[in-house]
Amino acid sequence: MELQFFVDPIRCIGCKACLQGCSECATHRGRSMIHLEYMDRGTSTQTVPMVCMHCENPTCAQVCPADAIKRTEDGVVQSSLKERCIGCANCVNACPFGVPRYYPEFDQMLKCDMCYDRTSVGLKPMCATVCPSDALFFGTREEFETRRSGRPVNEFRFGAQIVRTRVFMVLDEAHDRLDVQDVALADTPDPRFEPDTYDSVDPFSHVEPPSNGGPA
Amino acid sequence: MSERNPASAGAIPVPFMSATLDGRGVLAGLVFSAVLSALVYLGSQGLRGFDGALAGYLFSTLFALFGIVYRYVVWLQRPPTRLYWVRGWQLFWAPGKRLRNMGLFVRLTFDKLVAQTFIRRRSHQRWLAHQLIFWGCVLAILVTFPLTFGWLRFESAVSDPSVYMPVLFGARMPLFGFAARSLVGWVIFHLLDIAAVLVLAGIAIALPRHLKDEAELSTQRLDNDFIPLVLLFAVSVTGLMLTVSNMGMAGKFYYWITTTHAVTVMLWLLFLPFGKFFHIFQRIANLGVWFYKAAGAEGEQARCARCREPYLSVMQRDDLKRLLPELGFDYAEEGGGNWQDVCPSCRRKLVTLNQFQTVGKRFV
Repeated sequence: MELQFFVDPIRCIGCKACLQGCSECATHRGRSMIHLEYMDRGTSTQTVPMVCMHCENPTCAQVCPADAIKRTEDGVVQSSLKERCIGCANCVNACPFGVPRYYPEFDQMLKCDMCYDRTSVGLKPMCATVCPSDALFFGTREEFETRRSGRPVNEFRFGAQIVRTRVFMVLDEAHDRLDVQDVALADTPDPRFEPDTYDSVDPFSHVEPPSNGGPA
Repeated sequence: MSERNPASAGAIPVPFMSATLDGRGVLAGLVFSAVLSALVYLGSQGLRGFDGALAGYLFSTLFALFGIVYRYVVWLQRPPTRLYWVRGWQLFWAPGKRLRNMGLFVRLTFDKLVAQTFIRRRSHQRWLAHQLIFWGCVLAILVTFPLTFGWLRFESAVSDPSVYMPVLFGARMPLFGFAARSLVGWVIFHLLDIAAVLVLAGIAIALPRHLKDEAELSTQRLDNDFIPLVLLFAVSVTGLMLTVSNMGMAGKFYYWITTTHAVTVMLWLLFLPFGKFFHIFQRIANLGVWFYKAAGAEGEQARCARCREPYLSVMQRDDLKRLLPELGFDYAEEGGGNWQDVCPSCRRKLVTLNQFQTVGKRFV
């Protein structure tokens, strides 16, 4: 029975257990690969966990000039190969989901690799084992269907680009694809607050290093 | 690796290897190999200084050079690689910045290629292993390649046969003469043994990680990670065995050991274009990327279309927007925008925002 990864950010309660669990993984010891952000700190407690969606045709791997990002036979997109990564951060800036991180101190990109040391031997990724709300769930399709409603989809549209992924996101029965709409349409700022009221407050700054690809 | 994974039903079919060769790669490989052949002929004074016993090494080196150049040329034709290659040279030779760039080049070469400080910041143990293997290989190459090419040999001084002197490109260099039975002589004659010990020490540090570390066990591959270590080990051990046979076994098995050593060295040379060894040549691109980053940091910064915060250089954003269609991606919005104009943080938030909108839910 194939084990699959289902993410449902709507269910995220911001407990940060995934961040702590993720940093236990042997392939990126001590560093959390999950991005956890407040959607709009000024108006909502909603948080956003983001793991790698493991694209079938990964944009990060295609834009890599060093050919350093590999997808294994079982469809898991790995962190850049240490010996090859030249630290250009093309992957960081091209990934449609905003997943890879560049670490200037050792000049390499690391990203969520679905805890490959665990999933490659049939165990669950660390984040999914500790998530109390099943926002991050790893199991069989049957397990998913017996426990909850919603339709897992693995097709996304960004602009004119269709992206298919190994990881599923949970939508409702009426949708078989997530159309990530135009930036202007997707965002409706709350008029009660100044736009940058809480921008300087980053509750996860102690675990979330800057991920942009500028020079050290 | 797939046999380790019980959840591999969605395995990707691996296509048969295409038998076609890249024309530019073949041409460049042949040109480089021909140039090296000519340099060997000229440097060995029409092969008079060439040691016929080393012919196998020379042919393997020529073939390895062809393979390395071929792979490099094919690699440079990938759109993102080509872009960085062109940009790197453009920025390096930018008028008014050449002197500063030369300084940066020297600093980066030392930092990235010689001292390899970025590996030390990952792990001291990993850095030590890499430095030992690196310097062992550099030393061995500096000793063996000039000898193999017939560029360097040693002769006894006419006045005193116990004094050896180097003959470089046919020119005797009495100033650099040394007594064969001196400490200097011992070190020079044992440079390859020293190199082998350095490499073996590096392997001894690196190997336990390859055998025990959970992360390495799940991601390493036989051809990419293990064969290079096995080859380095085999070359070093058989090389040391020559000295052991010569000094401790009265020359027993010497011929068999020389043959075995030659085979391991030739296999090592032929494997250079493949697996992990190719990073030796690829990593030079790391320097070009730093010129790109330095120019990007000095230039205009792109601001996110959603949060208006700067998130990368305009140069890199625009390069990516040109590059992606070449690779078959189209992230352009209907209204004229582009997903690449959004910073990674806002991309993450917008995916969830759209999930909420699609299923008709609101934040609490």
